[in-house]
Amino acid sequence: MFLYNFKYELKLLLRSQWIQLLSIVLLLLFGFSAYSGKGKVAKREADIAAAHNEVKESDQVMLQLLDSIEKGIKVNARPWTTPNKPMAVGNYYPRVAAMTPQPLAFVATGQADLFTHYIKPTVSGDDFALNFTEMTSPVQLLFGNFDLAFVVVYLLPLLIIAFSYNVLSSEKESGSLRLLASQPIDIRKWVLQKLVLRFFWLSILVLISLLLVFAFLNINWSSIITILPGLFTLILSYMLFWFALSFLVNLFVDSSAKNAISLLGLWVLFVLLVPSILNQLGTTLYPMPSRTLMINQMRSLKADATKKQDKILDNFLRDHPEYAINDSTQTRGFYHNYMASQKLVKEELQPVIKSYETQLRKQQYWLARLKWISPAVTVQESLNKMAGTSTEDYQQFRKQVIAFAETWRGFLTPFLYNNQKFSSKDYPKIPAFNYAPKEHNNTWVTISMGVCSVLLFVLGLLITRKQMITSIT
Amino acid sequence: MITTHNLTKTYNEQTALDRLNLQVNEGEIYCLLGANGAGKTTTINLLLGFISPSSGNAFINNIEVSKNTKETKKFLAYIPENLMLYPNLTALENLDYFSGIAQKKLSKKDLVSFLTEAGLQEKAFNKRISSFSKGMRQKVGIAIALAKDAKVLLLDEPTSGLDPKASNEFGRLLGKLSKKGVATLMATHDLFRAKEIATNIGIMKDGQLKEEFIANHISLPDLENTYLDTMNFKEAVL
Amino acid sequence: MTRKTFIKEFKELFREGRLRIAFFLVVLLLGVSVWISAQQYQKINKQHEIAKTAERTIWDNQGKKNPHSAAHYGTYAFKPKYPLSLVDQGVDKYTGTSIFLEAHKRNEAQYSAAADQTGLSRFGDLTPDFILLFIIPLLIILLGYNSFTKEREMGTITLLRSQEITFWKWAMGKWAALFLPILILIASLFLIAGIILSYLKDFGVFQWDSLFWIFLVYVGYYIVFMNLVLFVSSKVKKSGVSLVLSISIWILTCLAIPKVASNVAENKYPYPTRQEFAVNVLKDKKQGLDGHNPWSKEAQLLQKNVLKKHGVDSLHQLPFNFDAYRMQKGEEHEAEIYFKHYNYLKEQFSKQSGVYKGLASFSPYLPTRFMSMAISHTDYATHWDFADAAEKYRIATQKFLNDNFAENSKYGNWKYQADADFWKQLPAFEYTPPELRTVLSKNASNLFILGGWVIGSFILFLFSTKKIK
Repeated sequence: MFLYNFKYELKLLLRSQWIQLLSIVLLLLFGFSAYSGKGKVAKREADIAAAHNEVKESDQVMLQLLDSIEKGIKVNARPWTTPNKPMAVGNYYPRVAAMTPQPLAFVATGQADLFTHYIKPTVSGDDFALNFTEMTSPVQLLFGNFDLAFVVVYLLPLLIIAFSYNVLSSEKESGSLRLLASQPIDIRKWVLQKLVLRFFWLSILVLISLLLVFAFLNINWSSIITILPGLFTLILSYMLFWFALSFLVNLFVDSSAKNAISLLGLWVLFVLLVPSILNQLGTTLYPMPSRTLMINQMRSLKADATKKQDKILDNFLRDHPEYAINDSTQTRGFYHNYMASQKLVKEELQPVIKSYETQLRKQQYWLARLKWISPAVTVQESLNKMAGTSTEDYQQFRKQVIAFAETWRGFLTPFLYNNQKFSSKDYPKIPAFNYAPKEHNNTWVTISMGVCSVLLFVLGLLITRKQMITSIT
Repeated sequence: MITTHNLTKTYNEQTALDRLNLQVNEGEIYCLLGANGAGKTTTINLLLGFISPSSGNAFINNIEVSKNTKETKKFLAYIPENLMLYPNLTALENLDYFSGIAQKKLSKKDLVSFLTEAGLQEKAFNKRISSFSKGMRQKVGIAIALAKDAKVLLLDEPTSGLDPKASNEFGRLLGKLSKKGVATLMATHDLFRAKEIATNIGIMKDGQLKEEFIANHISLPDLENTYLDTMNFKEAVL
Repeated sequence: MTRKTFIKEFKELFREGRLRIAFFLVVLLLGVSVWISAQQYQKINKQHEIAKTAERTIWDNQGKKNPHSAAHYGTYAFKPKYPLSLVDQGVDKYTGTSIFLEAHKRNEAQYSAAADQTGLSRFGDLTPDFILLFIIPLLIILLGYNSFTKEREMGTITLLRSQEITFWKWAMGKWAALFLPILILIASLFLIAGIILSYLKDFGVFQWDSLFWIFLVYVGYYIVFMNLVLFVSSKVKKSGVSLVLSISIWILTCLAIPKVASNVAENKYPYPTRQEFAVNVLKDKKQGLDGHNPWSKEAQLLQKNVLKKHGVDSLHQLPFNFDAYRMQKGEEHEAEIYFKHYNYLKEQFSKQSGVYKGLASFSPYLPTRFMSMAISHTDYATHWDFADAAEKYRIATQKFLNDNFAENSKYGNWKYQADADFWKQLPAFEYTPPELRTVLSKNASNLFILGGWVIGSFILFLFSTKKIK
């Protein structure tokens, strides 16, 4: 039976022009989404490169200035920004802490439009005031992106539904089912074979069109060759899941229109409703503490800290570093006070900051368990992780940046407290930021989803013996 | 070849088929006559195993249908009232597919010979079914039966919608098959065609087999009178 | 004819068990989402009130201080939630809620809710706008996809054809039967929302006429969907095909085109990155007058001009504190720089809006979404309006502080301190979102596009078919 189904299914699909239509649709969807994803990654890389360049240029200026100062030549720069002062280096010559895109970043935009990809932490200023969000039109954030992940998660299931909803019912409606059922074959196995074959051909089409699109877009193969199998198997196991649902619906429901409604109902449930309900539940169960109230807390803490420095001069100097630095007799300058009180505020605010992190972690933990309710959520999350654009990746980046800000401060504060000048000899010792991407493993997701799909197929075979008989007549 | 013992099918207290006892031997053509809803199609569905009997048994080649449906299907061929094949496949391809999924591998030469035997014109072999008339499709159906080497042929209203020439041709084809030893059960409204080709005739009403004849022992006008009498039975009582 | 068809169709719809279940589910989802939104609305506004009062208390109780110190110390402007966010949350989740107002610097609104949530939040929330924009059109498809095809499949169409009826009268009957349940559904939703809002404790001013306008916008949106679904149903032969086609229209309209529009808009008119923006501002600032840098060329020039204007030859002879005056001038200059750069952002945004409007001729979702957000005061334009108001207030605050500094001290006197009571004299920040009429006239093009869709889809549906086939 299988051999004949194999031979004729392809003929039928070619003659009804399904294969041709699907190839065009897939190429268009994958092409457009990957192309615009690639464009975004290119912009991200260019932005980061520009930032690095800018630092390089300003470093040249800094070295020249240092050279001149060390040689005793008068320099034409605002006095409080000359790089022989450690805090000036810390504030006016910051390093770039950049999150370089992962090789598959073009696959899923994820949170990349929401968060920034590079930041220049300075020695003054609060860590928690570092704004990690990107300047994006909120309309764009609201509508989301037409990326490859969207095509896979939202549109591919719909193609599968259109491609498979009437495998059995159309035979029934056209009348060929009775002839088929009079053959000594098991109709359920026949449906199974048909669907497996359609899955097979669609998989081939998906893989080929993906490879074509990647080749056309000049993707760097060597960097993705090891991740590609993971991406493909994930997509295939998601497709298999929808084919399994289609198999069940084909066996249980009878008319084509009802099949289509049932499958589309499942699509709405898994892709639209479950994610939004889960999200709503997550934020209701583990609500984020109010950011507005956090501001209040921070303000009163700072107000207290400020009141402790009761000297007017200190008070004034806090806002006017130029005068503090001008005064050559001053040994305990503004920055000594500032850095000290900053540290105090930071320590006292720690629990508040922590509460956001804990709450977010709780939400994530909750989600990690419940995401299995909807394969759409699971796959979207996995694709984001593969692309390095998931919430966790940006959390990781945030953490590393804050650690780097601490390193930056830690590198320069000894100069400050030792009243030591920053010199060109110290330049090579300046720390640099290196983003260590978060390791993700999606093997489990792929395997579990594949196993679930196979179980759905088996379930269909096991419990539909009676259904089949009544559906023929 | 085809045997039923008190075969009964009820749907929610409505009896579709009531204690049917039927015997069709090798080489016989048995025509079941009756109005719509008399139980003809129910009988065929039961013999095909599409539905299971409420009581009684049906046998194909001495194998009970409800117990071993798949096995019995190996011996039978079935042509539904409106035989639909895959419109996008040619006659040859349809034949290849339907005989192929029943686990029979045939060479192209054999397939061609079956189509020829079924009376299909050679130029139609490689044309898509979508352009075929009902008569032509039925010839492909017969070819499928031939390819399967079926011992039992079940036909549901095969001549309805055929023009007289095609109907006549179809009758002769059945005659040829029965000479080979095929047992045929055919449900029909067509008294004329039944008289012409059948060896045995049964008249059904309200799920019961009311009359049975040997086709040679009754003339067409007598058959028609008996048929009408049986149909009007109730009204006559009232 | 029309009336009879209407009654028959209406009965058919309500005898179908699946449709009743679907209808019930939508009502349930709407109920839950309205309840959740009302809860959030109350909670957030309560926090907003607390934060506002607390911030003002901190400001008022600064004690004796140099006014410019206070300027650096700064204050916060908090963005409230508006009553109609109960119906449409719009972009609220993606915009910041608080703006830090300090000397020399225009800050962006910080702390958007989305940044504090998991990646799941990008799928969307269970809010009334989600149901109104996505789910109810699906319900319309479910109710209407087989309106015509079923007649074909059951063969009743041949009977109807034999009776010489005009297509449009027949079609109107079907249309009305589909329209009525949808109308009842959303009319009761808006009524309930209105009643809830009237009874919620007075945060913001709720207006029935705004609610009514949103209602009209959605009715128009649904009419477009009904016309399209019925058009498809009247044109194709099989129910299954009609369903698949209608769903494809829905996906294009509600999911694909908005996303494509957002891709195109970003690609054509990109925003700078946050860091780029900061660098650009800094560059401009370096070139101009810095209130803190008395040695710069610009400061020297200003000094010269002021001395000349007042006819004196030393800064000490001026009747005000020149340091504070220079500070104010620097402030004004910086404000101009920010104005320029934020204007660039705004330009990019309005060009992006142009892209959305261009693509709105392919998707009735876009004008509906923009109208609904605008009237609910949850759109991007309202956020801009709020940010501009906060900036205006910031500039006024700086002037208020610098003027006090300048008038009450002499040049070089950085030790001047304002009284502890002085801070209370600063007027509080108040913001009222634009009036309904302003919103409507600003969004006139969206209204026109939506109107065009309504009329166009009617013509397509009613007049593309003359005879029943």
